[in-house]
Amino acid sequence: MFRDESRLGRFVVGLAMWLAIAGGLVLMAMVAMICISIVGRALLAFGLKPITGDYELVSIGMGFAVFAFMPWAHLTRAHALVSLITDSFGPAINNWILVVTDLMMLATSAFIAWRLYFGMMDKFAYKETTLLLRFPLSWAYAMGFVGAVIWVIVSLYVLGRSIGYATRGESEPKRMGAEV
Amino acid sequence: QEVTLRIHQFLPAQATMPAGAIEPWANKVSEESEGRIKFELYPAMQLGGAPAELYDQAKDGVVDIVWTVLGYTPGRFPKSEVFELPFMSPNGEIGSAAFYNYVMANSADEFAGVHVIALHTHGPGLFHSKDPINTLEDIKGMKVRGGSRIISDMLANLGAEPIGMPVPQTTEALSKGVIDGTTVPWEVTPSIRVAELVTNHTGFTSQYGLYTQTFGFIMNQDSYNNLPDDLKAIIDANSGLEVSRQFGMVMDEGDARGLKIAVDAGNNIVQLDEAQTQLWIDAAQPTIDKWFADMEGQGIDGKALYDAARAAVAAEM
Amino acid sequence: MTPLMLGFLGLPTVLILIFLRVPIGIAMFAVGIFGTWMITGNFNPVAAQFKNLTYSTFASYSLSVVPLFLLMGQFATVSGLSASLFNAAAAWLGHRKGGVAMAAIGASAGFGAICGSSLATAATMGQVALPELKKYGYSGALSTATVAAGGTLGILIPPSIILVIFAVLTEQNIAKLFMAAFIPGILAAIGYLIVIAIYVRMVPGSGGTRERMPYGERFKALGQTWPVMLVFLAVIGGIYGGIFTPTEAAAVGAAGTFLIALAARRLNRKEIVEACLSTASSTAMIFLIVFGAAALNGFLALSQVPQTLAMWVGEQGFNPWMVMILVLIFYLILGCFMDSLSMILLTVPIIYPMMSVLDFGLTPDEFGIWFGIIVLIVVEVGLITPPVGMNLFIINSMSPQTRLSETYRGVVPFVASDIIRTAILVAFPPITLFLVWMLY
Ligand code: NA
Ligand code: NA
Repeated sequence: MFRDESRLGRFVVGLAMWLAIAGGLVLMAMVAMICISIVGRALLAFGLKPITGDYELVSIGMGFAVFAFMPWAHLTRAHALVSLITDSFGPAINNWILVVTDLMMLATSAFIAWRLYFGMMDKFAYKETTLLLRFPLSWAYAMGFVGAVIWVIVSLYVLGRSIGYATRGESEPKRMGAEV
Repeated sequence: QEVTLRIHQFLPAQATMPAGAIEPWANKVSEESEGRIKFELYPAMQLGGAPAELYDQAKDGVVDIVWTVLGYTPGRFPKSEVFELPFMSPNGEIGSAAFYNYVMANSADEFAGVHVIALHTHGPGLFHSKDPINTLEDIKGMKVRGGSRIISDMLANLGAEPIGMPVPQTTEALSKGVIDGTTVPWEVTPSIRVAELVTNHTGFTSQYGLYTQTFGFIMNQDSYNNLPDDLKAIIDANSGLEVSRQFGMVMDEGDARGLKIAVDAGNNIVQLDEAQTQLWIDAAQPTIDKWFADMEGQGIDGKALYDAARAAVAAEM
Repeated sequence: MTPLMLGFLGLPTVLILIFLRVPIGIAMFAVGIFGTWMITGNFNPVAAQFKNLTYSTFASYSLSVVPLFLLMGQFATVSGLSASLFNAAAAWLGHRKGGVAMAAIGASAGFGAICGSSLATAATMGQVALPELKKYGYSGALSTATVAAGGTLGILIPPSIILVIFAVLTEQNIAKLFMAAFIPGILAAIGYLIVIAIYVRMVPGSGGTRERMPYGERFKALGQTWPVMLVFLAVIGGIYGGIFTPTEAAAVGAAGTFLIALAARRLNRKEIVEACLSTASSTAMIFLIVFGAAALNGFLALSQVPQTLAMWVGEQGFNPWMVMILVLIFYLILGCFMDSLSMILLTVPIIYPMMSVLDFGLTPDEFGIWFGIIVLIVVEVGLITPPVGMNLFIINSMSPQTRLSETYRGVVPFVASDIIRTAILVAFPPITLFLVWMLY
């Protein structure tokens, strides 16, 4: 069940991938927005205008994009880690180390999502907004929360995947990423 | 019984308020308690988070005490926000006392769940620009940074192009001419090096400054409640109206220092005359009206609050 | 246990976790929140802080330059812009002993002039240079170390994210800092070229050479880098002409390389998806560490370790130069474990005020610029010092057949050249300040 080829696997991979692509597209939209705002500011004399709240929009976009990138990075093992010493421990121990670190990642993502939920509810309650656009911060948090929830789902799946490999006595295939 | 209280704030330790108000306050309280209250000072957001989170850090007990700008969390203190309206307050001392009294009488509910030590304002905000601003006409088309939505609104009404930009970006933007000017009180100018970057500073003859920002020196409610009664009394003796006034006076001293740097640098200091100032006050009226409409949308009587704020300021003058 | 003792136990604990293969960001985060919990004796403040801390760490305006520069690197690769840079450098340097590796340094310096991020520079040039280095028989150790070290030129040569952040923290003038970084940046590139020249002579068989190119071909290759020149002019012209800020330059660079890729008809749906996913992986990797470091920083500050160390140094009555040397050694050690951004955020607010009152025979402004550049260099060394060196990780992951231990070995001479350069810049402040004196 917890294999990338299974139905569950294909669903989770697809979910993380599309979310990451959405994050990337938001980055590109930010690039366009910043450039338009720069042009508007530079050509004030010709009646153009910068985009109001461009700095706030960049922050909100970042909040979405970075959360959106987290599931994909974990799924594809892109996070930086050091296997210099553990390489001498042999495959069986390493497979179980992976299970433990995946559990830590699950704990971290779940903690982040749990706390972010309460942060979001605070923002709804206190009605805080951004400075110029008066964009509700609750919505900005909610956009990040989507990524955080999917991060938890992916962390569950990845944990299941590494437990599966470890119990079968196999090692996970090497993936491109920052694993070293 | 001894307690250690952690104070968290967003400016470097050597800035006006941390060095001139917060540290002396902490030392005084510590002495009066004969060392039973100790303080740990954490400047420059050392304990983590962004400045906008400070208020919640005090409310939720992440730290014991914070000093923060209330405008960093727009929308959270709508009734207290009235003090940010243009031409409200003449200087830090009067503005701070008035602001404290106003909040206690009109918007104390916005500070439910925390223990307020002091509430204060800065001195009058004014223009700092590359080209001189001698008349209302001069600001037309200028790219000016405003620190809040109310200021940006007002700048737009005055015919300037408001640029919303975080304070740390201002120095960089001003030095390259990405913006033509900024609005800050004198106190802030040395730290962001305004007097080196621009040569013109425009203030008003009116007894009121262009705009005001509001600050809170806020303690976690449990940290306060858990103190034994005699230590509570010491904190109480160092809270309230007179401490707020004192914090405002430190702002005024900072203003004098900032002004002196600009004068020593040979910069052009413009004081707009009565007639000009009145033009600006008139031009700012739509901003005030818009704020009333905003408040009405939230079921708040903005006009009444505005009058209460003006009365609070008048009572101190 | 006192907070101070907990604080001193913190870094070794992070290190043990990292060597047990815990992702670096997670190791820092775990130690950070458990340490804070133990100091405050109460989990509620920890839990409360994280209602906002994660969001504000990710939704950061000033850190937006990181993904934007990474995106720029992706488009630079797709458009063939980085390949043209490498080819031009190889045309001029490739026939020398170690020439292909030298070309990688030259190309990194060129890319560093339009990109303000070391990681983005390393990742971008790695995609072009690593296959070439392999083709000409360069050992994995030298190849990965060269590209990782070359990547630090992304920050050392302006524009530079770290300098912007230092300037904000210490209230220095960014344009002057950029100016001052220029000569040290060039010296860095020259130092790396010398390292390669010595390395290939001392380790036989570590790399081959390309054929010598006639001058006509060389100038032709140089001419083909015109899109880079275009982006360079847009970025530098825009910053110094007052059209946009150095932070906004990241977006301008990304837009520029995107348009070039579009004009070259190299962008299709597949390429855009690839660019998104690569940027996603690298961005998430960096932000998980920045997030972990934020948690760790809070704990270290709370433990009073940095404050106590700074006070101790202050009380010893050392002569200023002695203090400077101690501070730099402290940075080098810290750089082995932390990423450069977190180091700056943790240490500069404490160390800068302590240093600025010492007398080095400079005006306060000169001191700020000089010290800023030196801090910049020592934290950049951290990117390539084992065990936690972000550039090493990124490049090693792009070269699956090279073991990390080989990369660690290969990078030692580059680190040595960094240390020598730092010593020279500390001993002779005018090298750093010369351009500023000339132009202001
Ligand atoms: Na650069
Ligand atoms: Na390192």
